[in-house]
Amino acid sequence: MKTQRCKLHMGLLAAVLALGPITLAQAKTPADQLIVGMSMVNLFSIDPANAPGLDASGVNANLYDTLIKRDHGNPEKHLPQLAERWAISEDGKQVTFHLRQDVKFHSGNPLTAEDVAWSLYRVMKLNFGLATTWKAYGYSVDNIQSLIRASDTHTLVIDLPQVMDPLLLVDSLAISPSAVVVDRKTVLGHEKNADLGAAWLVTNEAGSGPFVLTKWSANDSLLLTRFDGYWGGAAKLKRVVVRHMTESQSLRLMLERGDLDLAYGMAAPDIRAIDGSDKIQVQSLPRGTMYYVAMSMKQPEFAKLKVREAVRNLIDYKGLDEQVMPYYGTLNQQPMQLGLEARLPDPGYHLDVTKAKQLLAEAGYPEGFSTTIRTLSEPPFIDIAARLQSTLAEGGIKATIVTGTGNQVYGAMRARNFDIIVARGAERYPHPYFSLRTFAYNPNNSDDAGLPNFQGWRASFFSPPLNNLIDQAGVERDAARRLSLYQQAQTLYDQQVGPIMMVSQMTDTVVSAADVKGFTGDDAEATRYLGVYKQR
Amino acid sequence: MFVLTASVLGARASNTARRAGTVLVTLLGLLALTFIIGRVMPLDPVLAVVGPDADSSTYDQVYRAMGLDKPIWTQFGLYLNDLLHGNFGNALLTGHPVLDDIRRVFPATIELATLAILFGIVIGLPLGVCAASNQGRMGDHVARVITLFGYSTPIFWLGMMGLLVFYAWLGWAGGAGRIDLAYDGMVPDVTGLLLVDSALAGDWEAFASALRHIVLPALILGLNSVAYISRMTRSFMLEQLSQEYIITARVKGLSRRQVVWGHAFRNILVQLLTVVALAYGSLLEGAVLIETVFAWPGFGQYLTSSLMLGDMNAVMGCVLVIGLIFVALNLISDALYTVFDPRTR
Repeated sequence: MKTQRCKLHMGLLAAVLALGPITLAQAKTPADQLIVGMSMVNLFSIDPANAPGLDASGVNANLYDTLIKRDHGNPEKHLPQLAERWAISEDGKQVTFHLRQDVKFHSGNPLTAEDVAWSLYRVMKLNFGLATTWKAYGYSVDNIQSLIRASDTHTLVIDLPQVMDPLLLVDSLAISPSAVVVDRKTVLGHEKNADLGAAWLVTNEAGSGPFVLTKWSANDSLLLTRFDGYWGGAAKLKRVVVRHMTESQSLRLMLERGDLDLAYGMAAPDIRAIDGSDKIQVQSLPRGTMYYVAMSMKQPEFAKLKVREAVRNLIDYKGLDEQVMPYYGTLNQQPMQLGLEARLPDPGYHLDVTKAKQLLAEAGYPEGFSTTIRTLSEPPFIDIAARLQSTLAEGGIKATIVTGTGNQVYGAMRARNFDIIVARGAERYPHPYFSLRTFAYNPNNSDDAGLPNFQGWRASFFSPPLNNLIDQAGVERDAARRLSLYQQAQTLYDQQVGPIMMVSQMTDTVVSAADVKGFTGDDAEATRYLGVYKQR
Repeated sequence: MFVLTASVLGARASNTARRAGTVLVTLLGLLALTFIIGRVMPLDPVLAVVGPDADSSTYDQVYRAMGLDKPIWTQFGLYLNDLLHGNFGNALLTGHPVLDDIRRVFPATIELATLAILFGIVIGLPLGVCAASNQGRMGDHVARVITLFGYSTPIFWLGMMGLLVFYAWLGWAGGAGRIDLAYDGMVPDVTGLLLVDSALAGDWEAFASALRHIVLPALILGLNSVAYISRMTRSFMLEQLSQEYIITARVKGLSRRQVVWGHAFRNILVQLLTVVALAYGSLLEGAVLIETVFAWPGFGQYLTSSLMLGDMNAVMGCVLVIGLIFVALNLISDALYTVFDPRTR
């Protein structure tokens, strides 16, 4: 018996010794591969016609190309991509794009203007959420084929269906996740039941981008392999491996051990713990999305301007910015993103309980009232809501927090069934017109209008003068006058105490190993790995 | 040797038919209940597809395409009809047929749960026997502390601590995932069980990597089974050790070891089968927390993600699989009863 036990112990010891050195030897990731850890819970379709999520955009940015891209985030200046040049007609009703002639899809098929036109038609025909962008310009499945067409193999002509500033459309072609070009022949080769390849493209790709999708196992891992025939020159990395990891501390440990090169979505305490290490670099990438506190003006209390103003005085903007939002966002009180020329400076809203109480008394609520705050049960939403609950209580408003998944919280908001909500929204790319449309525009305030794509409608905020200003800005071609209209709209929104109150503009914090270079982050989450490399 | 008469055969056939009927009714009830809960819970699968900013026309189009405009019983009937034709529907999360998804994620959980239950058996059984045969003494107290630890320590915390100590500090265990990323996609997929597949391929480096990744989560997951199995074993053993036949055996001069293992333990084997089957079943349902900490792409994570999305095709498929697991484990346990307990034959 003793001999057997001894053998068992020796076996265990041998196993431990055998396993240990292997682990230590492999602690560094391969030099030509980027190992990324992130949650892929929200990555469930990469079909460009139906991939509204941020994560899907990040993947598709590496698989597909757009006609043009923004010049350093400027929504009115663009750089060539698939289109080497373009021209807007004198009357502003037509835009003509001239495409590069050396572009091939991953399949080997040449990329033509017909592919571009068909890609946009496909978005409209399938009519998922991303079609909203093009519908706003007046395109429909019936008119898009005549208005967006190939005049020859490498020339695309786009007619505008309504009077508008053509730069808006040009910008959408640079930034919309649905503006990428798909390989028509390959997609139609996988068509089933006239679905335009919709079922196939959910988990496959047909792009021309710098990487090819080699493997995608949902909620497990995703593998991108360099496309050597890329028109812009091959990427420096051979492979990008993305592993599904939802636990922030696991990400941190793997980064520290050198088993991960780059991590998205780490929790603030974990980032704080390793920020400053010479083995790690922390980058904040500004996003266009805003964190906000919104009230429903369907509720009689919030329909009153003074109550809304009281709530604005009960938001601890400074406290949130300093204690809750580090690594999540940057203070922004305007319904427009930081850095835009049209954006006015913050109005300087701050916590002022005395003034709030006075306003509540004037509005007929000297003792306050009870309400609910809906929010997501994850940071920073739940932390913003908890802080808000506490400061509202100081003013006499007793708020109960109701948490849920994104689906439940945004579902209630879309149904206009909420009191207060702490959420996140807006166009992912900063743009004065689209930000104002998202937060302040509401062309029809009736329930039957069904306009949940406008957050102003969701909050039942209806201001004809504000609508008018935004409409005017949308068609104004003179830059100075357009700028003035945007600024007037912000001033009016402030005066009318719009019910959607911005508290912070989102930043994505990306933590990576110090030897990862060239990762700059793009204008939005469409970060490309094209120029990323390891300095070893 | 005995002859099977017509009446015995008839009774057996009737028994089998009754059991099959019970299983079918159970599964049908389980599906109906899950379907109703899925439809009344405040989760909107349409939003998961169209995104929160879609306009009403898009929303309505997808709502109809998903059949949500039909009465709930019509939806359930259509689902059952598809099910009978082997079609579990497609999952929102992956876009793949649910059955394919389950085939993909289930082996990861089987591998983890099997190792965990083996750990539970190897440690839990002797611990329970030791505790019972040393009732009130040091062995019993030690076992009680271990089981208390297994029951009460949050598995999430234990997972994190395990990773910190054995992965980050000592470097003995692999990190998150089933295998080092260097081997990702390199092992030919035969059974889906990485340890088996890498061994079949003769890729011993990949095998070592997979082993290094699975040992820690399996040990931590198995700790709860250790607690459960050892407590149940102790309880069963105490009951047996107080029986008169034990005293008789001792009086006849058998050693303590022979009495404990040869008599008492053999008599509790039948009960233990049910305990182990139930413990294994609950591990196979998926250990969501441990799968989350260790980024283990298993059944539990798949089910939880699907539930959060309101992806009822995937949820129903998973529920059906869980139901079948428990039915199968019960049948196996019943069958083994007849092997170990002659009275049930």
